[in-house]
Amino acid sequence: MLVNESHVAINTRYDRATRPLVASVRDLKVYFEAKAGVVHAVDGVSFDIRDGETLGLVGETGCGKSVTARAFIRLVPSPPGIYAGGEIDFWSTEARKNGSDPIDLLEIPHDEMLAIRGDRIAMIFQDPGKALNPALSIRSQVAEVFYQHRSEDILEPMGDHVPRLIRRAAQQQTNSFERILLKFPPWRAKAEKLKERVDDLVARALTETQISNPRTIMDSYPHELSGGMKQRVLIAQALACNPDLLIADEPTTALDVTIQARILELISELQERLETSVLYISHDLSLVKEICDRVAVMYAGRIVETGTTEEVFSDPKHPYTRGLMAAVPSAHHKRGELAAIEGTVPELVDPPPACRFNTRCPFAVEICQTTDPRVLMVGAEHTVACFAYDTSDGSVVLPTLERWVS
Amino acid sequence: MTSVTAKEGTQPPGAAQRAVISVRGVEKYFPIKEGTLQRVVGHVQAVDGVSFDVRPGETMGLVGESGCGKTTLGRCIGGLVPPSGGKIYFRLSDEDAARLDVIDPIPEADRTVEQRKQVGRIDANHRVDVLSGKAWRMYRRNCQIVFQDSFSSLNPRQLVKDLVGRPLQVHKEASGQELTERVVSLLESVGLGRQHLYRYAHQFSGGQRQRISIARALALDPEFIVLDEPTSALDVSVQAQILNLLHDLQKERGLTYLFISHDLGVVRLMSDRIAVMYLGKVAEYGTATELFEDPRHPYTEALLAANPDIRSEESMMKGLKGAVPNPAKPPEGCRFHTRCPVVTPACGWEVDDSVAWLQTHELLAAGLADVQRRSNFDATLVFHDEESASAVSQAIQNGDMPPAMKAALENVSTEGRSVQITFFPVEPVELEDIGDGHLTACLLQTERRHQTWPPQPSADTSSRTAANPSSASTRNSSTR
Repeated sequence: MLVNESHVAINTRYDRATRPLVASVRDLKVYFEAKAGVVHAVDGVSFDIRDGETLGLVGETGCGKSVTARAFIRLVPSPPGIYAGGEIDFWSTEARKNGSDPIDLLEIPHDEMLAIRGDRIAMIFQDPGKALNPALSIRSQVAEVFYQHRSEDILEPMGDHVPRLIRRAAQQQTNSFERILLKFPPWRAKAEKLKERVDDLVARALTETQISNPRTIMDSYPHELSGGMKQRVLIAQALACNPDLLIADEPTTALDVTIQARILELISELQERLETSVLYISHDLSLVKEICDRVAVMYAGRIVETGTTEEVFSDPKHPYTRGLMAAVPSAHHKRGELAAIEGTVPELVDPPPACRFNTRCPFAVEICQTTDPRVLMVGAEHTVACFAYDTSDGSVVLPTLERWVS
Repeated sequence: MTSVTAKEGTQPPGAAQRAVISVRGVEKYFPIKEGTLQRVVGHVQAVDGVSFDVRPGETMGLVGESGCGKTTLGRCIGGLVPPSGGKIYFRLSDEDAARLDVIDPIPEADRTVEQRKQVGRIDANHRVDVLSGKAWRMYRRNCQIVFQDSFSSLNPRQLVKDLVGRPLQVHKEASGQELTERVVSLLESVGLGRQHLYRYAHQFSGGQRQRISIARALALDPEFIVLDEPTSALDVSVQAQILNLLHDLQKERGLTYLFISHDLGVVRLMSDRIAVMYLGKVAEYGTATELFEDPRHPYTEALLAANPDIRSEESMMKGLKGAVPNPAKPPEGCRFHTRCPVVTPACGWEVDDSVAWLQTHELLAAGLADVQRRSNFDATLVFHDEESASAVSQAIQNGDMPPAMKAALENVSTEGRSVQITFFPVEPVELEDIGDGHLTACLLQTERRHQTWPPQPSADTSSRTAANPSSASTRNSSTR
């Protein structure tokens, strides 16, 4: 039942897992240098993403969920960011087929990372208004993915003997002289054929996301589209290369509920068809419950609870998870009787060893303030980091925890 | 009881108390300017004829998607922008309300001298957008606003003491030591304290900043507070703190709230009465329980269906097709008909809808050269060649067009490369009472559903009545 090392706890978990892993995060630490000291934004996070599943990463603002996600494709600016330790192992489809070893996304050289970003691991960002370049047409923004990662695909209709210049054009590696050359015969016809092929690919990618008139949309600029449409374009861009892992960082926060529902339907439908694994980041528990297979709850740079969606939502163990769930307003609540979690998220500058939630936890006892809690198995796939379930020394059991479940 | 009225003058009898705020047919249009001369080429109809009363001590909720005009309406009520039409009254007594009900429908020119005098007196004392002098100061004291974004609504260069104490200074309520003490007691009432007096806004977390905003709003002991999405920038755990605080303050001080939010769960919790807005108009209005247990407008149903519920067992998130139409040219008939799942031929189909339908068919849209409109319901579609014109008229005939839109067509005729389409003209759909002060602006819920529809009277009425109970019952079963 009880396992001392978090590593061991998770290792026993994959033995039971039926699906192969896509990514496995081990003790990830991402710090930021600040004037006041080192901010431990992500401090020892471990979780797995299995093939074809949707893992939800939930938590409040500033708990490190976006930083964790960005670490996958090394988008955390460094400096001030510091990758202080841990590893993110990633198995691409080929690696899984060949049974070869995973690659550590934090160790690989920059050019390998470039090949993975947008191809094997893609990301959808929170605000579609900011994620698209306002000065470029939708066509060129989606086409970029193909130029970057699918130049072979673009060249396919050209036959076997492709001139070097055209090959370079399909990889967007031409210099300004070559670009002028491409405007004149004999290159011109080939360049146009290339462009047509790219347009076809872009239109196909946009059609995938249920955009009904892709050819018209392709020629428009982001400001001409509604928020929901922009998010569809971003999804088309992200899924264009059929990635193994899709990271969705609050993709619907900037959208209205009716649009949000459509976008989520779209993501899950495409996920099912393309068999992509999804890391879904959200602060909205009810959304996560709706669309995720498994959930990891984050608080102040640490994961406090993981488990299948049913386990976590029907039987939340950590006081923080319970507090979060109780704070969501619903028909059962009387006005003025919402169960709020008192206080605010603590500063993460050089934090002492302690349960990060102890300042806001109504059940905190002495040990919570002096020692890091261990990750404990409380169910087949359910882990929690709380002393309330740590029965090893038999001292700390908090029966009053039950009060939180309403 | 209630007095949200589709047309002014139908206020039911027995309204018990005066209304704190009485909104009557308020419109707010923003001009769209173009060119070097900034010529006005159109208007964005942000708020288009909204009426309701807010009674003392109650919370009125205003929900809707972004761009539906809820914030603009809140700003009109707060006196920050003048409405371009309609009237907002503060502390309107029942007698005066009754007088206005009688006088308002009479055109300006036909009113007697006595009636004009009465209107002049009521307006000078109660009408928010023409108040001046003492009455205006009285209104500004009694109506406060808490804004959504506490970053931009708190001056970053002022100390908390000045932020919260400013209203007291302006209204010459307190100064010196007394001011400080008043500020401290205000801070204490929102869960902050003396130690926060000499800090700047940026030193606080989001929840604390919103508390400061609330303290500032409370400074002059107002009667009415407009809460414009007070918690949408906050995390759930902090949101719960603020909602509890707002409720406690309301009980202690007998405050009246206008609670604007896009979050249905929050509005349901906080409000006694709710108005659901869509494209500048109220789609449905009723008590919180009625609206959530028995929604009678497809838009309310859609909002509820799209809202994920953490406590419901089955998953049932459903979205709406399409985007919110352009508010500068809102749809005819029912404004929701472009996205409505239970739309009927009588809901206001127009030329724009047929063009939008064409554009979803890439092949058909490619041939379209020009749309010559004679009215919103009548136009000629000109195509590049005869083939595309006949392809379109065929697509209309063989059921490619949504059935409700097709049934709304009065006439389709193809001539060379042009297709003339004419829809049956339809009146705008107004709010109607469907019992106990529950109002909805949906044809399916009102008497108009029994009207026969010109083309195929028998078939249509059956399809409309069939659509109605089924949609209502699915909603009911899922909410319980």
